[in-house]
Amino acid sequence: MKKIASVMTALVVTGGLAACGSSDGGSSDSDTVTIGSIHPTSGPLAGVGGLMDDGAKLAVADINAAGGIKALDGAQLELAGGDSQGKAEVGQSEAQRLIGDGAVALIGTYQSDVTQNVAAVAERGRVPFVIDVAVDDKILEQGYKYSFRVQPDATSMGTSGADSLVKIGQDKGTPIKTVAYLHIEGAFGDSVFDAFKKEAEAQGITTVKEITYPGTNFSDATTQVREAASINPDVIVATGYFPDGVLIAKAVSELGPDIQGLYGIANGAFDDGSFPAASGASGQNVLSANYHYDANNERVTDIRTRFEAKYGKPMETASILSYQAVEVIAAGLEKSGSDDPEKLREAIAGIEIDDPLLAFDGPITFDERGQNENATVIVMQVQGDNVEQVFPQEVATKDLVFPAAPAR
Amino acid sequence: MTEATTRGDGPTRVVRVGTHPTTVVAVTVVVLLAAVFAVGGKDSGLVTQSIVTGLLLGGVYALVSIGLTLIFGVLGVVNFAQGSMLTMSMYVVYALVAGPGIPVYVATLLAIPVMFLFGMMVQHFLLNRLTSTGSHEGPLLVTLGIQLLIANVLLMIFTGRPKSVGTPVDGSFEVFGAIASYSRIIAFVGAVLVGVALTLVLRRTSLGLSIRAVAANAQGAALVGVNVRRVYALTFGIGAASVAVAGGLMTPFTSLTPSVGEQFTILAFVIVVLGGLGSVLGATIGGLVIGLVQTVGALYLPGTGSLILVFAVFVMVLFLRPQGLYGAK
Repeated sequence: MKKIASVMTALVVTGGLAACGSSDGGSSDSDTVTIGSIHPTSGPLAGVGGLMDDGAKLAVADINAAGGIKALDGAQLELAGGDSQGKAEVGQSEAQRLIGDGAVALIGTYQSDVTQNVAAVAERGRVPFVIDVAVDDKILEQGYKYSFRVQPDATSMGTSGADSLVKIGQDKGTPIKTVAYLHIEGAFGDSVFDAFKKEAEAQGITTVKEITYPGTNFSDATTQVREAASINPDVIVATGYFPDGVLIAKAVSELGPDIQGLYGIANGAFDDGSFPAASGASGQNVLSANYHYDANNERVTDIRTRFEAKYGKPMETASILSYQAVEVIAAGLEKSGSDDPEKLREAIAGIEIDDPLLAFDGPITFDERGQNENATVIVMQVQGDNVEQVFPQEVATKDLVFPAAPAR
Repeated sequence: MTEATTRGDGPTRVVRVGTHPTTVVAVTVVVLLAAVFAVGGKDSGLVTQSIVTGLLLGGVYALVSIGLTLIFGVLGVVNFAQGSMLTMSMYVVYALVAGPGIPVYVATLLAIPVMFLFGMMVQHFLLNRLTSTGSHEGPLLVTLGIQLLIANVLLMIFTGRPKSVGTPVDGSFEVFGAIASYSRIIAFVGAVLVGVALTLVLRRTSLGLSIRAVAANAQGAALVGVNVRRVYALTFGIGAASVAVAGGLMTPFTSLTPSVGEQFTILAFVIVVLGGLGSVLGATIGGLVIGLVQTVGALYLPGTGSLILVFAVFVMVLFLRPQGLYGAK
């Protein structure tokens, strides 16, 4: 039994290892304005965390190259990095450290639970926090005054995801009646699903079957997909992250149910640049309703080209959102003409950014909760080796293929 | 010395009590599955699918656990780097496929000696002194360090973007109306082959005899001329090599990130303890059982519920048979 005891010891030790963080240090001399960037640059989410950190770095470099913050006599921006390691408590202590080091604003953090903790720290420290990626509605339901979110929240994604799906069915003359919905367990999957179900039923989708799967130790989706297919749905909808999304696409393709399409909502896989290669033939024609960079915007094309040249990897939407978050803060600094965090907050609260980098319904403006009012989703589709924008028509880069039965 | 005795009886006792637990497990599993079919209230096609999926998943679990049961059972090292070694072997295979374009299953064969050497070196240079003194906490911390090291070096080299390797045998076939993909079937067959091969090595070869001798009583083995440190290094090497097989066979259906293997570590420990420390057969059977419990259980307790069921089974087995299914004493 002593060995089992030592396994327990090991578990405790692993849990306790969360305490070490990087320290890039921030400076507070008058010619530079420090922005803290908190992302998971190590741990399981290091890939996307690194992309986001690089997106923020590129934004800072671009703004500095264009003459810095003009309202502050050309003050240069400086990015102080914080590694959340994907853990809420680490993100929280990194936020405290960055504020202590003189950061006038924070951006981050990719995960809802981490973001929630960082938002609380920002509120206490009276430092504006521009959320680039984090989906949970609850973050902004606390009445925080210092947190702002650029991306749509879970409810709005579930709702507009359902709305787009119904419209696609109508446009193509194949109304959608039955949906099987696979989603990951937890606040993210639950809240997107709840919003979807409400809107879908209001819009005439009669049956919505819910199937959940665990976020850990999930390495085969065949049973779940088979269960989804057992009600003969018109469409299978999926909400989750990258590895599970790939497993679902593969299982749908293997089982070959008679459906009109596999449709992701806020899915971390289906519109990711690595998805077409990772899923191979099974990824073809998969649809995804998600917030996305605006592929028709020339400024976006320019930023993405330079990003890839500089960092050697494609700039995904999450990374564009980090870029955008830095721009929001820079615009706030220009507007307030001060690097005082409280004045900066006032400026960001009333800001209007006309040329967002994402395919949104309009300029970036924040409501009283701090949510970007015009944030929305568009529908993408895997066609060949690329993820194309297909719906609505205004943002389309390719024609929508629907019904889009999965490849076998 | 009590430690050494507990450790070692695994492989030797398997021979003596081999059939008894197998029958019990098989009967229990069959009865439970029959009950699911008869009174489970689920579509029978769905149940068949979940059983097939569960067995194939169990094969994967077995592969990961077989290596661990040797390291944990024979050396008594709580190898927290097991999951990372799995990830590492996947990336070795990925590098061989993406670089020189070697087919994935050939790359798996090439990864075996690489991981074997890696395992030997870890034991020889980092762990031997600690295991010889009988320390438990020392090796544990070292393997924890190796885990962090592997994950972060992989992150540095390959970045965290998900990588994938295409499968040369795309497709699937039907068994009793259930779908099974070829790549998962190959992984399952691989698990069985590795299990059989290792059992034969342990029972029939002089190396296996030395391993069992060292496991039973390291001091005694040393007295009769067995080079204990060498056996330790070889055992760790074999453990790492079987992880290489696991990693290679899993690569075609896994999205590779530098921490992909870590989710298997805890389950592998559960399976090893469930099957009995040091028992290759126990790890194989344990893996299959856990795979079945997780997948069939998910029909009734979706999401994390199926994992709760896994741990419930684990606790129950430990309660009824504290030494594990095939454990000694």
